[in-house]
Amino acid sequence: MANKAGPQRPNGTAQAKICQFKLVLLGESAVGKSSLVLRFVKGQFHEYQESTIGAAFLTQTVCLDDTTVKFEIWDTAGQERYHSLAPMYYRGAQAAIVVYDVTNQDTFGRAKTWVKELQRQASPNIVIALAGNKADLANKRCVEYEEAQAYAEENGLLFMETSAKTGTNVNEIFLAIAKKLPKSETIGGSGSGQGRRLVESDTTAKTSTSCCK
Amino acid sequence: MAQSRFSKIDEYGFERPDDFDYQTYETFMSQYLQILARRSKKWTTLMKSEQALKKKRILKSYIRKGIPNEYREKVWLHVSGANEAKIKHGVDLYKKMVASTHDTTLVEAIRIDLPRTFPDNIFFNSSDEHQEMLFRVLIAYAHHNKKVGYCQGMNYIAGLILLVTKNEDSTFWLLKALVENILPDYYSPTMDGLLTDIDTVSELVRLKYPEVSKHVAELGLPWPVITTKWFICIYCEVLPTETVLRIWDCLFNEGSKIVFRVALTIIGLHISEILSTTQFSEMNDCLKKIVKGPPTVHCHNFTQSIFKVPGKLTTKVINRIRETVSQERKQKKD
Repeated sequence: MANKAGPQRPNGTAQAKICQFKLVLLGESAVGKSSLVLRFVKGQFHEYQESTIGAAFLTQTVCLDDTTVKFEIWDTAGQERYHSLAPMYYRGAQAAIVVYDVTNQDTFGRAKTWVKELQRQASPNIVIALAGNKADLANKRCVEYEEAQAYAEENGLLFMETSAKTGTNVNEIFLAIAKKLPKSETIGGSGSGQGRRLVESDTTAKTSTSCCK
Repeated sequence: MAQSRFSKIDEYGFERPDDFDYQTYETFMSQYLQILARRSKKWTTLMKSEQALKKKRILKSYIRKGIPNEYREKVWLHVSGANEAKIKHGVDLYKKMVASTHDTTLVEAIRIDLPRTFPDNIFFNSSDEHQEMLFRVLIAYAHHNKKVGYCQGMNYIAGLILLVTKNEDSTFWLLKALVENILPDYYSPTMDGLLTDIDTVSELVRLKYPEVSKHVAELGLPWPVITTKWFICIYCEVLPTETVLRIWDCLFNEGSKIVFRVALTIIGLHISEILSTTQFSEMNDCLKKIVKGPPTVHCHNFTQSIFKVPGKLTTKVINRIRETVSQERKQKKD
């Protein structure tokens, strides 16, 4: 199944590398974890996304130059009492997106707690991204961009403000993670152009291919 | 898609998904309507008798064949012990709890989930009325049982009971019966009962379907991933709605062993599909698919199957496994 993801190269030239990574989404209830995944995987948005019970699993593939990065995405339940189940999802994860809601200060506090937990308990090389979601609700903003950015820098996290509703920075944050993840061989030259994104979701019936720059 | 005589909205107000299998449903309904008519007649006769709800053996057999929707509220309240609890705690407990002062954190937690509960159900998405009814049930219960408070998942359970009974007071008492008497400690902050039952079902699968158990372990799909939602929502939002209600009929009457019977039946009816998966993600997709497939849509056959497919399964055996796995978990923690 995985070899469908990479472009085929004829005449014995090396096939594109395929890397598979486990990524987990963590964050307070209703900050938009499932919405970010839905936007990334299916390009959709529901104003009222059903609350996730337990966890949901989806996959999505992005292409970076000659490397195909397949994300196995674990979308978790946000309510505090589901916390005891979380380690099962972030155990062995190579990447995490910790999400907060820019209109709710408490969710930013909770995001920091998640970051701390990941730094303590998850794989030591885990790539952590911080996503300030609901950035489209600028007039309700409670968490300043600068504050979150400073925190992210201090802790060595990727950081973006995102909007699952408008799609702003959703692909970008996944792509940034894909770039930062260690591939088994280094990809030639850092900053090598824009990532091409191949949409190939094998959890949905629809399979389409599109490229964005 | 062929023209269907079934509308886009089901009888409980749920919009059917775009990929809804009308053909399977039509085949099923053509048989099921006759069964419903027959059962309805039988139940009407039974319920005329003063002693109807006291005849435990007859009642059990009737319930396994499905309670007609018009009697569900009454029968559920009786067999679940909700009526007794009502006498014990006072019939106006619900009103009192609604009128009491409410904790703002709880109010917020519940309010966040209201528009996210059945957003594809016309009763919940067309006006605030159902959402407000659901809010009152959940906030009243959270204050009545402070140890549990509010746990995500209870919104779906109370929401579906509300769609069946259309009565807040009954929904409150039935939710209380489920959370406190029927299901063992699923919703408390530690979710101990849930963790125990997840380990228990894993052990039961190992005993009943060792090849499935082995395959699940080999592909590395943890049981909590598969079963958390099954148990927390008691199959609501997992299996088709009519099937869920048929399961709940038995659950209210016979207790939590039904939850295991259903899990084992879902697996037992789909062994070859599960075993044919070769990857973790494929197995995960397979498990999501089979819960919506023809064998579960046919709620009457499915409900009959839960008493056949897994074979013998007594509460005594389940409780023994619960005891063992819960001790093992505690030892691991220490």
